[in-house]
Amino acid sequence: MAAPEPTGPGLRGLPWVIAALGAALAPHIPFVPPWVALLVIAAGAWRWAADRRRWPMPPKWLRISAVVAATLAVLGSYRTVNGIEAGTALLALMAGVKLLETRGSRDLTVLAFIAYFLLYAALLRDQRLPQLPYLLGVTVFATAALMRVHAGTAGDSGRDVLRRTGALMLQAVPLALLLFLLFPRLPGPFWGVATSDSARTGLGDEMTPGDISDLSASGEVAFRVRFLGELPPPVQRYWRGPVLHEFDGRSWRRPRAQAFPTQGVKFVGDPVDYQITLEPTDRPWILALDIPAEWPEREAYRSYDFQLVSPRRLTEVSSYRLRSYPRFVAGAELPHSLRNKDTRLPPEGNPRSRALARELAARHGEPLAIAQALLTMFREQPYVYTLDPPRLAENAMDEFLFTTRRGFCEHYASAFTLVMRAAGVPARVVTGYQGGEFNPIGGYLIVRQSDAHAWSEIWVAGRGWLRVDPTAAVAPERIERGLIGALGADEVAPGRLRDASDLWLQVELTWDTLNDFWNERVVRFNAARQMNLLERLGFDSPDWRTLGLGLAASLAGFFVSLSLYLAWRYRDPPRDWPARLHAEVARRLRRRGLSPGPAEGPVAFLERAARACPDAARDLAAIRGLYVDLRYGPFPTESDLRRLKHLVNRLRP
Amino acid sequence: MARLIGRLRPALDARMQAWIRRRQGSDPDPVRLHRRRIYILPTPLGIAYAAMLFAMVLGGMNYGNNLGLALAFLLVSLGLVVMHHCHGTLSGLVLRLAGTESAFAGNHVTFRLLLENTSRAPRPRIELGIGREPTCIVDLPAAGSASAELQIAAARRGRVPLERFLVATRHPLGLFRAWAVLHCDHHAIAWPAPAARGRTPPGVETDTGGAQHHAQGDHDFAGLRPFQTGDSLRRVAWKAYARGQGLLTKQYAGTDVVSHFFDWDSLSPLGTEARLAQLCRWVLDAHERGEAFGLRLPGVVLEPNVGTAHRERCLNALALFEEGHGRA
Repeated sequence: MAAPEPTGPGLRGLPWVIAALGAALAPHIPFVPPWVALLVIAAGAWRWAADRRRWPMPPKWLRISAVVAATLAVLGSYRTVNGIEAGTALLALMAGVKLLETRGSRDLTVLAFIAYFLLYAALLRDQRLPQLPYLLGVTVFATAALMRVHAGTAGDSGRDVLRRTGALMLQAVPLALLLFLLFPRLPGPFWGVATSDSARTGLGDEMTPGDISDLSASGEVAFRVRFLGELPPPVQRYWRGPVLHEFDGRSWRRPRAQAFPTQGVKFVGDPVDYQITLEPTDRPWILALDIPAEWPEREAYRSYDFQLVSPRRLTEVSSYRLRSYPRFVAGAELPHSLRNKDTRLPPEGNPRSRALARELAARHGEPLAIAQALLTMFREQPYVYTLDPPRLAENAMDEFLFTTRRGFCEHYASAFTLVMRAAGVPARVVTGYQGGEFNPIGGYLIVRQSDAHAWSEIWVAGRGWLRVDPTAAVAPERIERGLIGALGADEVAPGRLRDASDLWLQVELTWDTLNDFWNERVVRFNAARQMNLLERLGFDSPDWRTLGLGLAASLAGFFVSLSLYLAWRYRDPPRDWPARLHAEVARRLRRRGLSPGPAEGPVAFLERAARACPDAARDLAAIRGLYVDLRYGPFPTESDLRRLKHLVNRLRP
Repeated sequence: MARLIGRLRPALDARMQAWIRRRQGSDPDPVRLHRRRIYILPTPLGIAYAAMLFAMVLGGMNYGNNLGLALAFLLVSLGLVVMHHCHGTLSGLVLRLAGTESAFAGNHVTFRLLLENTSRAPRPRIELGIGREPTCIVDLPAAGSASAELQIAAARRGRVPLERFLVATRHPLGLFRAWAVLHCDHHAIAWPAPAARGRTPPGVETDTGGAQHHAQGDHDFAGLRPFQTGDSLRRVAWKAYARGQGLLTKQYAGTDVVSHFFDWDSLSPLGTEARLAQLCRWVLDAHERGEAFGLRLPGVVLEPNVGTAHRERCLNALALFEEGHGRA
């Protein structure tokens, strides 16, 4: 163990380690409490300044109390020290405390390890494609810091250290790839996966006017769909999310208890088969094309209101193979409990809407005719579809229907459902997504958060649940051409540029295709795909033994090639050509009975040989001159060496 | 557990050393480190690194997080690359003994080693030491060499062998330590510690003609000659030196030159070591004063002479007196 290095200026590698820690901490800053980030940054800055100015290290009692205080503070904030969130905060704080007592190479090494671990925690939180360059960058940086600490004076220039670290990384990448592909993946978590508190954008189980328009402002990808057959037309692309039954006069909610009998669905016509890959949402919703007919039984179930739900939250990119039918009869019989649920209204509130419902019910009677009348009202009266509706006060739906008349899809769906229920028709709000953009480069449909949508379902005896989209009555372009096509020209379009050039569109779609590839091939790589890969490589019925064999072969190949590389790297310098050529001359002259004496140098020998062999005297003199120039001259040149080789080869014994 | 390991460790170390010794035998000089004789193990930091990677792989499996696993595998692979580089840093290194420095018993004798790197790549952070702890760290440039010193405390006079020493490295990341154990027949000489001043040397015995002394007899200054190593500093013509004429030694002619003969038998009441210590003291003092001296030990006679080479010969004779005759 090397003696502890003195503190003070020039604690080798300290600035590097601090920089690596900073780079690894950066993505956590929005997620840890602000005081954690501030304390760690302050500790880093203080340690750096202390190194330059030779400030003394804090005493031991202070450091110990800092450790205790940090642990208590994390416990206080999170009520635990387990899980990614609390663990990250604690790790960051420990790095801060460690900075206060950093004296030697050991402490610096531990800090570099913490940087690796913070990087790892960042990857647990987010493993999208841009994380790959980030991973490589921070790894190189933290490793360079380690080398700076341990390589001694050999790594004095920063560029040199980075170059050598880069070389080590390049040598490490092939085996890392093989390990990634061949290391056995064990299915499922071994211990409880801590749920993260960080809210991700996506549909919730509640809808208040304004929620979906907020969501629509995000251009993030919600999911991607690959159709096995034809792409269904936009009118059929309703992606079913949470179905909301409970209304309090303003917001719609998904009931917590799900104790309702399931209703049968009869599918008609041709199926649509597709593979849906969802970005993580921290929620269990799987967005099927309206009502799914077939789904992987072990990974999902269909709720009584026909939503596809996963038994656990989707914290990672997840993919499902599904089948839906564009035409179906769903729930021809309506159980009493559900009828009660879906006609219930709060005892009072929104009196004008209720009055409208009574009037429509009296005039039309038939549920479908009531709905039709309501849609006609939306279509013919000056209702506006806008992302930026006015705020609504107490009797929100009354205000919307009769005063402001400006709203987004959730306003229309909410008002429509309210009026239908008030007219005695079972009705509910369905949230989800509608539409999507086809990516011709990747051949799949991209559905973004900006495609979030809400519509209604009403129940009609004999026909079951029918989808009614009041937004389609107000703004048919929304359904046909998506949000941007439906909004007025003066509205700020969410997600992407309204007037994006074709080139930009191509760039964007290519980027999305890369992301899709990344999600499919890297993020979702698992045991099944591993076996699939081995099968494609030509192994019959591969199992863990095949993997073991592959791993052993990879390691052996790696060791051999690395050893060969190192032997080449540590090879001897180029041979001494002049000396070799002189030995060759001596060999050729031996046939003439000439050989260098025991104390005879090359120059003397060549002089004697020139006298002894008049026929080769000129060449031997030239050889002697070149030999002297190459061996002892100030500027040995390649051309001289070539000439010397030529002369020696010309020498006949 | 730690205590148990602590108690077992010396025994384990001794067994391992014996095994290494049996396996390798003695090394020639110079010795080129063949890759088969280089041992490598992770350092405590390397073990911590491995534990961290284990946690990362486990966590990645648990969370089904492929990017986390990718990081873990990249670091695993990096660790293995670094292991090879650590081993390669030592493999092929050439070591030779460049010389030894004697010292009096109680001090440290020094072995100077020359480390040669014949390869095209540099070999940084080579650690040398007698035991596990390195006492000297050198950086070897590509196709270059560097010297290193090893010091051994000499408790008693005589030959001090450099039986084994370690050459090691943790380059490049400190995660692994590669080392080689070298066994050699090198030795340095520890002279007897000189006795305290006090006992006067025996009187003048002979005039050898060659040796001179300025304090006795006539001072017939005969001229100056260039200073040679071994001349007494008292004979240097300092005035001439101050005039910028360089170092010159004053020569005297026809003086009544004296010399001592230090005799083992003259110290009969003392024990062997005490006699040697006294003789050592006299030799040193006489040399200091620039006097000529000879040495007579049972079986060894060194005729009176002057100079550092002579002093060294005498001291070596004292150091090796009655030591085993097996070694040259």
